[in-house]
Parts: sequence; structure tokens; C-alpha cells
Amino acid sequence: MATIPVDELKIIQQFGPHLAWMAGERLSTSVEPEKLVKTHCCFCGQQCGIQLKVRDNEVIGFEPWEDFPFNRGMLCPKGVKRYLQGSHPDRLTSALRRDPTAPGGFAPMAYTEAIAKVAAEIQRIQSTHGNSAIAMLSGASLTTEKTYLNGKFARVCLKTPYIDYNGRLCMVSAGAANKKAFGIDRTTNPWSDMIGTDVIWVAGSNVAECSPITTNYIWQARELGAKVIVQDPRITPIARTCDLFLPVKPGRDAAVFAGVLNLMIENGWIDRPFIEQHTVGFEQVAEYCKQWTAAKTAEVSGVPERSLRQAAEWWGKANSSFLLHARGIEHHSNGVQNALGTINLVLASGRIGRPKSGYGTITGQANGQGGREHGQKCDQLPGWRDIANPEHRKYIASVWKVDEKDIPGPGVDAYELFRKIDAGEIKGLISMCFNPKVSLPDNNFITRALEKLEFYVAIDFFLNDTARHADFVLPGSLQEEDEGVVAQVEGRVIKINKAVDCPGEARPDWVIVQDIARALNRPHGFTFNSPREIFEELRIASKGGVADYSGITYEKIEKRFGVFWPCPSHDYKTGEPAPDHPGTPRLFEPGSYNPVAKGAGPFYFADGKARFNVADYRVPIDDISEEYPFFLTTGRVVSQFLSGTQTRRIGPLVDQYPEPRIEVHPRLAEKLGIKDGDWTTAETRRGTITLKAMVVTTIRPDTIFIPYHWAGKKSANQLTVAAQDPISKIPQYKVCGCRVRKADAPPDYVGKLEAQQ
Amino acid sequence: MAQVAKEKIKSGVAGAVASAILAILIVVGSRNLNHFDAALVGYTFATLFAAFGITYRYAMWLQRPPTRMYWRRGWRVFLNPRLIGSNVLELARRFFVEFAANRFIFRRGKGRWIAHWLIMWGCLIGAAITFPLVWGWIHFETVPGNTALYRTFVFGFAMQDFPVESAFAFIIFHGLVWASFLVIAGVMIAFRRRMIDHGAVAVQQFGEDILPLLLLFAISVTGLMLTVSYTWLRGYAYDFLAILHAITVILTLVWLPFGKFFHLFQRPAQLGVSFYKDAGKTGEQAKCLRCGEPFASAMMVRDLAVVERQLGFRYELGEAEEKSSRGEEMKTGHYQQVCPRCRRALFGLAQGALWRRALNDRLGEAS
Amino acid sequence: MKPEHLHFFIDPNRCIGCQACVQACSECDTHRGTSMIHLEYVERSSSVQTVPVVCMHCEQPTCAEVCPADAIKRTGDGVVQSARKPRCIACGNCVVACPFGVPELYEDKQIMMKCDMCYDRATAGKKPMCATVCPSQALFFGTREQIEQLRPMSMPTNQFRFGNQTITTRVNMMVPRSGAQRPLVNVTDAMDEKPRARTVSLPVAGGGAADPFAEVEV
Repeated sequence: MATIPVDELKIIQQFGPHLAWMAGERLSTSVEPEKLVKTHCCFCGQQCGIQLKVRDNEVIGFEPWEDFPFNRGMLCPKGVKRYLQGSHPDRLTSALRRDPTAPGGFAPMAYTEAIAKVAAEIQRIQSTHGNSAIAMLSGASLTTEKTYLNGKFARVCLKTPYIDYNGRLCMVSAGAANKKAFGIDRTTNPWSDMIGTDVIWVAGSNVAECSPITTNYIWQARELGAKVIVQDPRITPIARTCDLFLPVKPGRDAAVFAGVLNLMIENGWIDRPFIEQHTVGFEQVAEYCKQWTAAKTAEVSGVPERSLRQAAEWWGKANSSFLLHARGIEHHSNGVQNALGTINLVLASGRIGRPKSGYGTITGQANGQGGREHGQKCDQLPGWRDIANPEHRKYIASVWKVDEKDIPGPGVDAYELFRKIDAGEIKGLISMCFNPKVSLPDNNFITRALEKLEFYVAIDFFLNDTARHADFVLPGSLQEEDEGVVAQVEGRVIKINKAVDCPGEARPDWVIVQDIARALNRPHGFTFNSPREIFEELRIASKGGVADYSGITYEKIEKRFGVFWPCPSHDYKTGEPAPDHPGTPRLFEPGSYNPVAKGAGPFYFADGKARFNVADYRVPIDDISEEYPFFLTTGRVVSQFLSGTQTRRIGPLVDQYPEPRIEVHPRLAEKLGIKDGDWTTAETRRGTITLKAMVVTTIRPDTIFIPYHWAGKKSANQLTVAAQDPISKIPQYKVCGCRVRKADAPPDYVGKLEAQQ
Repeated sequence: MAQVAKEKIKSGVAGAVASAILAILIVVGSRNLNHFDAALVGYTFATLFAAFGITYRYAMWLQRPPTRMYWRRGWRVFLNPRLIGSNVLELARRFFVEFAANRFIFRRGKGRWIAHWLIMWGCLIGAAITFPLVWGWIHFETVPGNTALYRTFVFGFAMQDFPVESAFAFIIFHGLVWASFLVIAGVMIAFRRRMIDHGAVAVQQFGEDILPLLLLFAISVTGLMLTVSYTWLRGYAYDFLAILHAITVILTLVWLPFGKFFHLFQRPAQLGVSFYKDAGKTGEQAKCLRCGEPFASAMMVRDLAVVERQLGFRYELGEAEEKSSRGEEMKTGHYQQVCPRCRRALFGLAQGALWRRALNDRLGEAS
Repeated sequence: MKPEHLHFFIDPNRCIGCQACVQACSECDTHRGTSMIHLEYVERSSSVQTVPVVCMHCEQPTCAEVCPADAIKRTGDGVVQSARKPRCIACGNCVVACPFGVPELYEDKQIMMKCDMCYDRATAGKKPMCATVCPSQALFFGTREQIEQLRPMSMPTNQFRFGNQTITTRVNMMVPRSGAQRPLVNVTDAMDEKPRARTVSLPVAGGGAADPFAEVEV
């Protein structure tokens, strides 16, 4: 029974989010740390290197890690204050069970007892409703070992097809586009390749706030002559001083790419020899783009024609270039098409697989890259293998030592999973590192679906907003309490090192998963004693797959400051052991050999050629209308991260941007009679939200923006639409029609909730 | 140069006058040196030197334009006939809270507060006992006819009698011991901080921060050793210890005007400044030339502009300089009238404008 | 002593306002728990332009000159230190006088504190916290050779004009590279400068629209 046990205010009083501040040893200037642990930030996909100061099993501060080549000591405010998430008053240190008589709605219980109860419930549901009545939700902030284990756990132990992960809200559009175009899903070049490039095109990425460290690479490139093009409905900090700003209307990105490509073709600014030798499908794309005249593109996209022409000229005539995109073009029901549109621009220019020329998506979560490689996606098996592919199934079955027939087929995406819960097909849910009640669109629906669950167990270190629905909560581990690898934005596999032990009865997540397997009496394949043992199996499981980790070891990662996959244990061409394989920092280099093309070409298809794909512009679902005349778009602020489970508990970060506000252009504000700071109501077909207005000229006048890190009545995702891309199933967070008005009254939580709650 | 020479002469005269006054007071207070202990003559000369040095430095300090401005303004504000009553009360309150209790140091840190408070009171008690004794202003005699009683003389006048064998006498005659206990405890705490606090270690200097602690420690320990010697060791090595103690005290006295201890004399200015600030708060506010928001007291902004001019700064905007050089009061046109927040904004805007032009030029060339 | 060959370079135009510097500043041991760096929007309603301001460590510091208590000292390595605690009488002269708007007065503690280039770190051969973490490297700490090699479009200057006063500083500001030997940034020239949503505008006939949203209908 997954309803909220007591009034949410009581749960908040007990379990937070409360704020942690520098205090005690963390504020002292006379305490020496016992050790400095070289590891990485727990937040975004940049995975900046950082050293944690440890004393008395507590992280008491940090020291920049200037030797790590990606960030060389640089950190954003989240990285700086990340250490305050440890030893937090809200930290779960014992298992909890739902108990409406307990003050906060949950009562502590012994860990072993909780595991037994959880196993009994899983068993009960599976014997009554079948194995597929249990589903699992996992996360892309987990180490790759955990994502691998969770994928295996769902298929081998739970025997359910229903596992998916929150990268579904993040990386899947880019992933699907990469798969279609390149046959491999990774950023093509290390970021250092940006330095010295002619043009950088940033499409739909608020680099300054969502991947701050990347800013230095862009500015550095500009110092060396690069021109910077930014495509965004808002003038973000990087857009303020970029050379060319494309003020695109939300949801019209594919039109921009088609229009620019058309201009390039018209002007002959394309690399014909490259297209002929290394690609397939250009003619269809060129044909499609013909309709996208500059005038039409300008009209549809809202980008002035002269800017489109300038972009085409710069991009077309450049000798080297780098294209970066992120959720701004990916969070659309047209997300894969948008990403393919950028790839078409790259392929038409022929500038890929070379120093100073690359393409990539900026990953969102810590393991946004690694988390999408090794089998926690509903349709995937380790090594970026396909769960529907008989060959792939056979190989993984042999690694897992199970019968291939026993591995379930493809499941469904995370949102569809909730629809199945709503429909009563799925009765029980296990979640880890996922807070869908804040992060999924139209989250009032998510709440209703959660309430229909017969059984829900959440594994987390804080009682996140979704876990308030749980029957049992198992205390998991913070990033600094466990070790393992993640793959950061460049595709560099790096090592998270353990700094402190889990407090109280909390356990590393992988231990909890294995304990459940054991309690279910299905321990086969879940007897690992350490993350290293899991990694060793993962290496074998990934061997021969596209995301090949077989040549990566913990030691090699440490020695080389990370290893770019693919890194095979045996040379692809000769089959000889290659223990010193350095990994692959740059993909698609001329003459490179990959196991798919087998020498036919640099791309990961049998013919070695990249694919042009028609990147079709479609009007967004729930677009603006007379009834809902303005665009709503959502995104991040620099001091908060995702659903805020961690960052809404860190005092200095909350201070920086305490509560969400609605960004409105002064022209729109004036029309609506709204002044800066006024309570303002935004309304869509799904819900309404009342927040203070922030009247700024840095947003399109036909668009409003709300950051999404807050919960409950402050959650932007009450408004967003659950429309999904047909291929990637990513939700369309970045656009929907809304109406805006001055609020009748302040929201009723005012005075009851603190800013972060 | 002439200006500096003039200041030095003035300060020298002030110092000499102060020393002379002290010398006269010593002679008068000790009844023509009748009650003056010749053994303490070294101390006396050290105090005379210190009186000169402190006054000299104080006078030099007061002649610096900003200090002079504050000195004059502070007194004027304090002695404002309409406010003098409440000012005196406020002074008394601040004296207790800030000076006697060191509240502002408490707010900087409890450890620092306890260290400072102990050292301060130890030194004050020590000084209150030592100086009158050295200068012969206070002395004790047994009451004629009753050897069980002591009589206190202040400036030669007989004051209170008290029994020799009393707790009171014990406390009084061991006053310096108690004072040294306070100082040693405080110095220890301060030393500990100076050894382990990374921030303190980074900025501390031997002469400014360590030496004063060492001197206080040396005075206290050698003084205690004297007590130990005559109480338990029948005066073992007393003369040597007395000389050692004298050296530490005299060194400290001579060093008083130059080092950290000068803050004893400088610091009370804080009390005066607080009245200036109070007056500024209630008076007219300066509004920023750029944003129009009030940011400081108009009096302070005007005074600073004057001080800056005296110091040789030329923050006047454009023609404002001519006005100010003609002695006209400035209403607009001085950079001092821009608020700190706008100064920071200007810093960015000025550079941003340079880059805007450069980046636009670059684009112009490119297309 | 801060090593002689290492310098601080500031380029506000690079700043993205992320406040990593502000958060990191409070981690330093000379002022732990209190951030000394300033980072503000020039005017958020019209631009995301932000300005990070550290102490510029003037060669002839106005703050020290106007200090009635003689509490502000410049150490031999050119670093202008926070007010000496025994002396500072919390008058606020430095706060109002500093041409860059740097010092802050802490009334409760009766002390002025300001950026000291993370003296605990600088003297131990480490970079100041802000310049180490700054994700845009608007704050950079290193050698002249390094900055020259990294920033061919820019050049450092340490001369600033305020009204009729020229101030020379230890900290350098990055300005567009030009022929000038020692370019001078005239700060008070920007009195009428307005923050702009976009600083760069396309050169088109009749001049580019400063407002990229000019054509958007509401």
C-alpha cells in the first residue's frame, strides 16, 4: 500500500529536507584531515576530480585535485559544497517501515528483518501475479557496477522484464540518435579537442549552469579563435557573450538544423568526398531539407534569417568544429530527430574523427554515460548489447550462467512502467536512485500511480519525495561510501573511491540488492564480495560488445586518469591480448578498426559508414494554442541538482537559489500586469503552479521558464506534459503550452514550509 | 618633508611633556622620592621612556589625516551639548560590554575571547599594582603601635588599615601572582591557537604576534619565580631573578610604543568611532551617483573625500577637481559618491565594454 | 610569502555567475565560513552579466591610507592583508574608500575582512581557492607565461582610472589585446554603461538588433 502514511508536513519535519551547514570540524581551522581521498564529484556528468578531506569517518571538506586532467581543480558550487551531504541530520541510518502511528509516518526497524519482509512481499506478489508484476527503477548516478548489478538482478533474480532507469529522462534521445547515426553511443572526442577548433555550436545546453566546467573549454577555444554559436530560448550566461545567438522557439530545433543544412548545401559548404566515402543516406536528407528555405526556417523556428545564414556560413566554411548538445534539444517528443539534425550537420561538414573536430552530447547525471551502457535500460544487456538480439542474449546468458530463455525480453520505459502500475499490471516496485515524483512529467499522475502499488520498497540515503510512499525503505549508500567506476561526459571511465563507511545500518547499494536476492533464495549470480568483483564480471560481460570495458582495470584507470572506452582486452584486428590498450579517446579516426565494421570503415556499422537520417521537424505535442498561449520550458539552476534530494539539503546551495521562480520577459509581464517578485500562476492542461515572478529580458517574450528541482507544490513537473519521443521515450520537458496570470493569493505552503521543502 | 618634520617636532614635544608630567607626578606622589624604592629606578626610567614613546607615537598617529578627522569629528559628535548626556551613558555601556567584557572578540571566537580576556585583565591588574608601587604612589607601613596591622598610603596620604595576617592581605600582596596566573593561562590558549590554527599560522608574524606573547609569558614566569624564591626557597637566586624579571619588564615597557601592545592605547578609539557612526546613521545619507540608493552617511563620505585629497588621491570626476581645489564643497562628481556595489558593477561594465567592442570588431572582420 | 612569479588574473567577461568562487572562498582557513569574494549580477533584470571582484591588492592601497587605525598592511609580497585584528576599530573608512568596493565590515565582530588571496594557501604554494575552482577561469592564478600562452586574444593590465586617479594593482585584469604597452581601464567611463542582454551583435546593414528578441511577438 503505497499511500503517504501521514500528513506530508509531518514527514518533512522528521525526515527533511533540512539544511546542513559548515559546523564543528567542518568549520574549524585547526583540524588536520586524516586522509585525502582522490575521487570525483557525486553530481553531474562532468565528474570533476576532487579530493575529499576525511577525519573520524566523516568528510570534513575538500581540496581541489589539480592533477586530474579534465577539470584540473575546477569545480562548480555543487562540487565545492558536496561534502556537506555526509553526516547529514536527514541521513537514513536504519531501515524504515511505513507506520502511520509513528511521528514521521515511518518507524525504524532492523535491517535483516526489513530485508526478510521485502523478500516475502516480492515472493507473495510474484506468486500471485507472476514475475512481471514486480518492476525496478534504477538510476544513472549509480556506479556502473551497480547499474550492471541492477540490470542483472531484474532479469536473473526477479525474472522481470520491467527495469528502467532515470537516464530515460536524460540521455536516451542522444543515445538513440548516436546509435542510428554512428552505431556507437558516446561523445566522439575528449573535451581537450575543443581547444583550437574554428567553431563551437552549443545547441540547447545551458553550459554555464548545467556543466560549468565545460565553460572554460569553450572560452579557451574562443581565445584561440573559435566562434561560439549558442542556440537557446534563453540568454544563458554562455549565450550572453557568444558570437552568434540563435533565439530558437521551444521545440523548433529540428527546423533550425534542417534550415542550416539546406543553406550549407545551397552554398556548397559541405564535404562531398567525405559524404560519399563515409556516409549513407545523404540524398534523402538533402531532399528533405529542400523545403526548409531560410525564410520558412526563420518563420517556424523564430531565429532571424540573417542569424541562420551566419550560422550556416560559419559552420559550413569552418575547417574544424565541435558540436555540443544537451537536454535543450533532447527533452522533446522530437528529441531523437533533433539530435539527428545536429549529427547531419556534423556529417555533412565531414568534420568528425579528427583532432579539434568532434561531436557530443553533454551528459547530465554522474554516470549519464556509463549508466546507459550495461543493462539497466529496459531494452539493453551489458556492453551496450540489445536484449532482443539472440546473439547478444546468448553471450550474456553464458556470462551469467543462466539459460538464455530465462532472460526476459525487452521491458518498457520508466514512464510506461508507471502507466502499467496505473493499469494494475505492475503491483510491486523497487526503486534506487530515482525520485520520479519530482522528476517525471505530469507528476500528479505519478503520485496517483504510486498510490496504486501493492508494495513499494525504496533504497536511498535520504527519504526522498517518492520514498515517502514506500512500505519499506532500505538505507543505501552515498557516493563517498562506496567505490566503483563511472563514465563521464567524454566517455572516460573513471574511478569513484570510497572515503568513509556507511553510517549505522546503512549498506552499500550492491550489498542491499544481493541481500534481497539471498532472502528470496535466489542467490545465483549475486555473491559478489566487492565492487571490484562486480567490475571483473562486467568486463567479461562487456567484452566484444560496443561498450567494451574488457581491457579496463581499476589500476589502469588510476594510472591513466581514466580510460576511454572502448578498451578491449584483446586487439580487435589480431585477437592478440592487449593488456596495455590505452582506450579510445577519439572515435572514428581515419583508418581506425572497430569490431563491427571489421576494417570496412571508422563507423560502427558493417559497412563502416555513418548514417544520415532524415531529422523530421514535428510540431511539439501540446504546443501553444489560444487557450494556452505561451511556451513553458524547464531546466536547471547551477546550485541545485536534479530532484534536489541531495542539494536541497545543503544550506549554502539552497541559499544561492532558495526557491523556484518563474522567469518572464518584461514585455509579457507588462501585458499580464505582473511585476518582479509577484506571486504568479502558470497553468497547463496538467496542473498549476504559483511561484514568484522573475522579470528578465533574458528569455523569449513568448516563453516562461521554471527550474525543476523542487517538490510538491513547487514542482515544475506538475505542469509538464508526459508526451514522449516515439523512439527514445524521453519526455517532452522542454516545451508545452501554458497560460500565465498574476496569482490570486500566495500558495498555501507559505509560512509552513522552508524554501527547500 | 617639512610637513613630516613639523609633525615630528610636535609629537616630540608632546612626548617630552608627557614624560615630564609623569616625572613630576612621581616626585610629588612619592613625597619627594621619600617613598621611592631606589631598587626600582630601572623600571621608573623605562616607564618614563614609554610615556615619551607612546605619546610621541599617539601624536604622530593623530596627525594622520584620517585619524585627525576621526579625532575631531568624534569629539565634536560626543560633546554635542544636546547629546552629551545620552552619550556618556552609552559610553559607559560600551565600556563595559566591548572593553571590559570584550564582546566583539567573543563573536570572533570563544577561544580567542577567553585568551584575550585573561591576558587583558591579567595585564591590567598587574599594571594597576606595579606602576603605583614603582612610582612610589602607594606604599604600606605597619601601623605604629600595632604590628599586626598594615596601613596603606596613597600619594603619601594614609588610607585604609588592614591586618597583616588576613585573607585580604594575602590577596593584596599576591596580586601580581594572580595576575600572572591569568596572563599565563591566556598566553597558553593564545599560543595553542597560533600553533594549530591554519589561518593564524598563515598571517602571523613573529614580531607582531609571537613576541608579545613571549614577553608576557617571560614577565609572568620570572615574576612567579621571584615569589617562589622568597616564599619557599629562602630567597635562592633572588637577585638574579629580580634582574631577569626587571629585564623582561623593561624590555616590554620600552617596546610598548612600537609593537602590538600599542593597541592598548589605540583601541579605545573604537569607542569614539562608534559615536561618529551613530551620528552618521541618524544624519543625512549619501545617495549613490549611479544607482541613487543610500549607502553611507553623507558626513562620512564628505570627510573621506577631504581625507583622500589630503592624502593625495584624486578621485574627483572631471571638473569636480577644480571645485574641490578651490575649497568649494562638492555636491556631485566625486567617485567617493558611488556606492561600493556600483563600483564593483563598474569594474565589470568597464571591462565588458572593452570586450564588447573587441568582439564586435572581430565579427566585423569575419563577415 | 606568496611566490613572486605567480599572479592573479581576473576576466569578468568570462564569468558565468555560478558562485563556485563564493562557495569555495568560505573554505579557506584565513576566513573560514565567511566568503570574501564578491559576485553580483550587474542588473539581473536586463542581463545575466555578473562581476566577480577580488581584492586587487593595490600598490598604494586607498583602504590602508584612509585607515585611521593603521590597521591595513601590505606584506612584502604585495598582498594587502585583512585589517589587523588588534587595531581595526571598525570605522568603515576602507569599505567606503576602496575604489573597487572590496572590503566588508563585520559589525558584530568589529572587524574589517577582505580577500587576502587565500594567504594560507598562497604561502603554502597553492592557488587561491576561487581561482582554483572557477569553472570559467574568469579567475586565474598562474605565471605570466601561462596566461600569455592561454589567452592570445587578451592581455593583462593592472592600471585603472577612477576620475582623475590612476590606481596600479597587483591583480591583473584581462582586456582585449591591443598595441598599448600598459593599457588603462577607465572604470568611471562606464558610469553610463548599461548591462546588456547580449554583448555581441551581428554586423548587419543598419546595425544588429541589440535585443535578440526584438522580433518576438507577445
